[in-house]
Parts: sequence; C-alpha cells; structure tokens
Amino acid sequence: MDNAIPLKTSTSGLRKTNPTLAIIGKVLIYVVLIVGAIIALFPFFWMVSTSLMTLGETLQLRLLPAVPIWTNYAEAIERAKFDKYLVNSLIVTLGTMAGLLITSILAAYAFARIKFKGSNLIFMLFLATMMIPESVTLIPNYLMIRGDILPIPGGSWMNTYWALTIPFIANAFSIFLLKQFFQQVPNELWDAARMDGADHLRFLVQIVLPISKAPIMTVLLFGFTGSWNAFSWPLIVTSNDKWRTVMIGLWNFVGEAGTETNLLMAGAVITLIPILLLYLFTQKQFTQGIATTGLKG
Amino acid sequence: METSNTLISTKSSSAFKKQAFKDQITGILFTLPAIIIIFFFGLFPIGYSFYMSLYNWNVRKGKFVGLQNYLNIFGDWTAFFQVVLGIALIVLAITLSRKVKQSETRFSKYSFVVLIILLVLAGVFFLTGWGRMIELGDKAYLSSLVNTLYYALGTVPTQIIIGMVIAYFLYQKIAGKELFRMLYFLPYVTPAVSTAVVFRIIFNRPDYSIANRLIGLFGIDPLKWRFEKIPIMQLLGFDIEGFFAGPSLALITIMIYGVWSFVGYNVVIFLSGLGNIPKEVYEAAEIDGATKSQLFRYITIPYLSPITFYLSLISLIGTFKAFNHIYVLRLPSAGYSVITASVYIFDRFYQYTQFGVATSQAIVLFLIILGLTVVQNKVMAERVFYG
Repeated sequence: MDNAIPLKTSTSGLRKTNPTLAIIGKVLIYVVLIVGAIIALFPFFWMVSTSLMTLGETLQLRLLPAVPIWTNYAEAIERAKFDKYLVNSLIVTLGTMAGLLITSILAAYAFARIKFKGSNLIFMLFLATMMIPESVTLIPNYLMIRGDILPIPGGSWMNTYWALTIPFIANAFSIFLLKQFFQQVPNELWDAARMDGADHLRFLVQIVLPISKAPIMTVLLFGFTGSWNAFSWPLIVTSNDKWRTVMIGLWNFVGEAGTETNLLMAGAVITLIPILLLYLFTQKQFTQGIATTGLKG
Repeated sequence: METSNTLISTKSSSAFKKQAFKDQITGILFTLPAIIIIFFFGLFPIGYSFYMSLYNWNVRKGKFVGLQNYLNIFGDWTAFFQVVLGIALIVLAITLSRKVKQSETRFSKYSFVVLIILLVLAGVFFLTGWGRMIELGDKAYLSSLVNTLYYALGTVPTQIIIGMVIAYFLYQKIAGKELFRMLYFLPYVTPAVSTAVVFRIIFNRPDYSIANRLIGLFGIDPLKWRFEKIPIMQLLGFDIEGFFAGPSLALITIMIYGVWSFVGYNVVIFLSGLGNIPKEVYEAAEIDGATKSQLFRYITIPYLSPITFYLSLISLIGTFKAFNHIYVLRLPSAGYSVITASVYIFDRFYQYTQFGVATSQAIVLFLIILGLTVVQNKVMAERVFYG
C-alpha cells in the first residue's frame, strides 16, 4: 500500500497523502483541541485556586495562592451552613431518584411491551411535556404545593421534603429512555417466561431489569444531577434554612460573602464535589446515555 | 405448569380476550404512578396557567378580567394581529419558495415577484405592528422576548459549529480522545448555579476581573462585562439604534456562559453521529480523489444533518427555557438588557407576586416555543439528508 502513495500524489497534486501537510494538520487539530480543553477547564481551575487564596490574593488576581488556605472551606461551611444544606440535598436527591426509578421502569415497560388502549395517546402526552417551559408550570405547581388548588395531605407542603421531591419523581425523559431499551428485549424471552407462568411484573423484575443495568444507571445519573442542580423550584417552595438545598445555600451566600470571593469559591466547590465525583466514576454511562437518547429523540 | 398448558392448548377467543383484558389492567396500573405525577405537575399546569391568566390574580384569585392581561402585553389587538399576519406571511413565503424550487422553472419569474411582494408585505405588517406593540404594550416584557431572541441567535449556531468541529477533530486518530471528551462534557454536567457563580467572579468588576486581565494580554482595554448595558454595536462605535444595535455586553457575557456549558453536549451527540457514518462512503470518496475538506463538506455535514437538526431544535427550545445561569449572572446595573423572558416571568411571579400577569406572559412564551418547534420541524425536515 505504501508504494502506491507517491503515484497518487503525483497525479493529483497535494493531497492528504502529503506527509508534511498531514503533520501540520495533526498539530493544528491538537492545538484546537487543547485550547478548547483549557477553556472548558479554566473556570474549574480558577474556582479551586481562588478558594485557597487569602482575600488579598484574590484582589491581586493571582493565578495561584502562595500557600493554600484550606481553612477557607471550614469557614465557608460554617458561615453558609453548607453541612446542613448538603444533608438536605442528599435526602431530596435520593428520594427523587428512588421514586423516579419505580415510576419510570413501570411506565416504560408498559409502553414498550404491553398492548393497552390509550397507551399511544398517553405516551404522546408525556412526550409533549418535555417541550413545556418551566415558566408555565412553576406558578400552578407552587399553588398546588401550598394546597390552594386541591386539598393535599397536611394542608400545605411548603417547607417540606414532599414539595422538593414529589413533582420530580416521574418524567417523560426517563420513561422514553427506558422504553427504547425495553423494546429491544427479544420477544422469545417473554414467550418463554409466559410458558413458565410468569406475569408482566415477574418478567420485568426477573428478566428485564437484570439486563437493563446500563439504561437504569443512566436514568439514575440524570435523576441525580437534575435533582442536585435544581434551583428555581427549591427557591420558591422553601423559605427557611431548615429545608434549603445546597444550590439555594450557595445563591444566598453570593450576597452574604460579598467581596470575599475566596469563601464564595470554596462554597461553589463544595456544592459541585458530589456531582464531580459521580461524573468521574460514571462518565462512560453519562456520555453513552446522552448519545443514545440524543440520537433517538 | 397449569397455565402454560392452557395457553398452548386453548387458542380460543375467550382466552385471548382474557389476556387482552389483563394486559389492559396491567398497562394502566403500571403507568398510573407516572400518569398521576406527570398529569398534576406537567400537563394540568398548562390549563391552570391559562385559567389564572384570565384573572386579576395577585397571590389570591381576584376579579375575572378576560384577556385583559394579554391585552396589556400586546397593547393593542390590531397591532398584535399585524405582527401575527406578518409572521404568517413570512412562513407562507418560505413554503412557497421551497415549492417553487422543487417544481418547474417556467413560472419562476412570476413567482419571484410574488415572493418579493409577500416578503415586503410581511415586513411592513410585522414592523408597524411590533412598533405599536412596543409603544402601547408591556415594553419590558416584549424586550425580554427580544433578549431571548438575541440569546438564541447568539448561542445556538455558535454551539453547533464549535461542537461539530471539535467532534470532527476528536473523531480523527487522536491520542487521549476519551480524556478530551470527558473534559469537554464537564461544564454540561456540573451544576449551573455553581459554575455561574464562578463566572460571576471571572467577569467581576473591571478592576477585579480575571477576564480583563486575559484580554489585556492581547492589548484590549478592560471591559465592564456583566455590568455593561450598552448594546454591543454602540460599544464598537457604530451609531445604531433598535434591534440591530444588538445585545448588551452583559447579555453577551451570559451567552459566553451558555456556549461554554453547552458545547460539550453537542460534541457528545455529534461524536456518536460520526460513528454512524458508514466507513465505505469515506473510502469510496477517497478513491475518487476527494480532499479532507471535501470529505467534510460533502459527506460529514450531509450525513450529520439529522443530528444538526435535532440539536438546533433542542438548543432553541433550551434557550427559551434557560433560567438558572441567567438568573445568577444578571446584575441590576445591566438593567433590562439581560432579562430574558423566563427570568422576567419569574420576577413578575416571585418578586412582584403578580400571578395573573406572570401566567399570561408564560402562556405567550409557551405559544412562541410551540410555534418555533412546528416551523423548525417543517423547514428543517425538508432540508435534512437522511443517509
């Protein structure tokens, strides 16, 4: 094959086969990719670096602290009660994920494998909700949580974990994602299971779920980030420290910390660490999940 | 064992009916939890928002005012219908031009004239209507829609182009491909509030802004970034007023954040799309003597077009929904220049407790998103090349 190259280039001029051009092209590609990566990473670097500076160093716009001040983190946690908010966020996030898992597995299975009247219509309505902006749903949901529209248990869910979890324990995206996967489970498996007297629930639990770890993982990951990163909803349904999540805590700290940007950045790092850890350990599932759902959407 | 026997032996219609009935019940039961949540918190609010928008509703329900809240937005119904007519004519002109392109060229001159007339009429209707709406209606809300449009026009194409180029580069034989992909995707997964708080500091007051130090390396004078409400064109020294003066530098700073946080998503989607292009197509073109740039132009871009379509749709809807980072990055000193529709609506609700006003504005935003989705679906579906 190598012998053919000079022949080709001589007949049609400079081409991809020209070695110097190929090298220049490669270098250019690397330069673009590295510059891109630096831009993507700089805010993270800056955040961590600033969080370890003295106040004086932040004002001088130093790139790195002379000596890292780790006590900034302790001070940020104490000043902004991040410890308390972290616990709240964790409870809310885990609760949401548990609910989300149950509702979306059941619904996705039904849409994928059970023929029932109205299933298409319901599924289309579900999908339609993905297009609706939060601006439209926010206000009625707020009234709903206050018990102004319908009587709800306890009268009002303002400042409760219910308000922070219940509206998010089902979403069209997760159902859609799992449905795509459940549809690919071979029919022969279901026929065989039915021969053995299994009903849908048993088939789902014993056969389908064990082979669906990857998409379930994706649903859990998106559930976690969605719940952890939530901002406008927790902002309006919580009015005191006891129930606030980390994102609200950080937002309040923006005003409180004022010019003490080192403390503010320490706070930002704290709110971000759980997501960062999760991402580092599961980034394959993350990107694959995005790719498959993205392509089929 | 008993049931399995009956299933095999009796294929009578009653057994089928029984199974169908069982399936019906199971189907409903399985979907019920999701239906309840999605109905009450996803679908019902649309209807209820519309209901609320018909009242003078400030925290508590007040007097029924009909479409008054909507009239307050548009200022004047004739102006509103002029704008709608203008948009309808533009859509009509676009559909016509596509039809003409597809059909014979015999009537092309005639149809060209019709097209021009249509577009001029559309422009006249739209501009006069819009002018009156700004004059008589809720100027702040209408300009928040314009800001949203700026935001969409500034971010969506940028994200898609950068995303496609990076994905294409990553798809070559590159060392550290996985690492690059991971890094690019990082801004997308990390919490918007946390990273937006960092951008607040990066684009801090001119004297304390690391962004100013960076542009200083290239000899550019310090900018006011998030604090700057003057439109970009005027900042660059052009004497332009109105829409073409462009967004304020403060809004552009928010767009920079938007692109930064969203490019990684596009990269991942484009990468998987590139993986689906058959290798043979490239090989065949290379044998025919195509250059790298020709391969990109005539194979990669057409094959990726369904994905480009999907991404532009998703991002466009995303920009109209965008809230968290805009809310965190905005400053009072940038005035209304950084307020997009979703932020404006949130303020009406949260700060001013004008629920009726806010819901009417939310419904208008929703209808715009709906319209954009339909139009973009139609227009792009024709252009998409399905390999």
